[in-house]
Amino acid sequence: MPSQIVSLVVNGERREFIAAPGATLLACLRESLGLIAAKRGCAQGACGTCTVLVEGRPEASCLVPVETVAGASVRTLEGVTAGGELDEVQSAFIDCFATQCGFCTSGMIMVAEALLERNPDPSEDDVIEAVSGNVCRCTGYRPIVIAIMEAARRRRERAVPR
Amino acid sequence: MAIQAVHVPESLDDVIACSARGGRIMGGGTALMPLVNSGAAAVTELVSLRRAGLCGIEVAEGVATIGAAATLAAVGEHPRLAFLRPALRTIASPTIRNQATVGGNLFVAQPYGDLGVCLLALDATCEIAGPDGRRDAPVADVLAAGTAAGEVVAAIRITLPEPGAWHYHKAMRRRLNSASIVTVASVAAPGGRRIVLGGVAPRPVRAFSAERLLDGRPLTPENLTEAGEAARADIDPFDDAYASAWYRARVLPVHLRRAFLP
Repeated sequence: MPSQIVSLVVNGERREFIAAPGATLLACLRESLGLIAAKRGCAQGACGTCTVLVEGRPEASCLVPVETVAGASVRTLEGVTAGGELDEVQSAFIDCFATQCGFCTSGMIMVAEALLERNPDPSEDDVIEAVSGNVCRCTGYRPIVIAIMEAARRRRERAVPR
Repeated sequence: MAIQAVHVPESLDDVIACSARGGRIMGGGTALMPLVNSGAAAVTELVSLRRAGLCGIEVAEGVATIGAAATLAAVGEHPRLAFLRPALRTIASPTIRNQATVGGNLFVAQPYGDLGVCLLALDATCEIAGPDGRRDAPVADVLAAGTAAGEVVAAIRITLPEPGAWHYHKAMRRRLNSASIVTVASVAAPGGRRIVLGGVAPRPVRAFSAERLLDGRPLTPENLTEAGEAARADIDPFDDAYASAWYRARVLPVHLRRAFLP
């Protein structure tokens, strides 16, 4: 089967590109669309650094042949920074020293975004479960969990009308 | 081996047609794509079930019919399948549960496939479709021998257990997202108590010896430990990165007991 044109709605914008058979969503985002926040870590679905949101849910984009999600809505870390401003999760990661080497950060932030979307007031156990598929080889999990709790707090405060 | 084609059929008939031409059926890709990515999969064509209309979950008159391509997340979120939620939360991560499917779980080797352990305990029925039509098969047969060439598991049917009749416990090295050392699933059904073990054989196994020992006896710590010791006759444990075969057999009685008396 020859390469084909695939269309996705990426970060709210319709994008078309040519994909070879079996190209992963991750490869297409990085190589065809230049969106390099999602990283190729293990290519086994075990490390979580390639996590993006497909129709609002976190998925390991290294395990997704792009043909299977043609037409879908995909959100990457690049789509989180609306209008060039860091959002609550991103700024909390900086303030809580949760980025460390940075390789796992984009995946961690995407699962945090999905968690807070569904559950604005998560318990620490909820946060730990949400990031349980994301490996940080700096092993700095504690600041990451604290940052996500802090982001949830900031977002709830922002949601309260003053 | 490089992938030459990915088919995304939009009906069960089209799935069967693609499969007949030699494509490998893929649910969420969480088991197959790692092999594809590392070049270890002996496959050149994939047939994705993602858009084949096999994601539905219906519950009527105490029987749940779960589409083979329903994700583990979708099963866990279904209000009538809440009894499976604790088991599902022991499987992989929330991210992977958004991708991994119920049907796919039947085709992974232990120590993965804890939902298959549950489905065997529930004596599930697989609705199988193929070039020669539809047939039903016990999940035990599919777990043991897979399906015939060109066939696909389209749905899985389970009878919902009565309140209090369901027990599940999984021993793993971490509290979340780790493969099985010992998994225990059990249903008290009218025909007797079924006990199924994961992590202790290449495929999920019925613990017939434990079932016989507990027949008509109360679930005391002593009886459960004795049943767990008897269940060593039913297992064929293996060494892997998570635990040794010796360890799995050694701790089996402890975890069988904990399934009922946490």
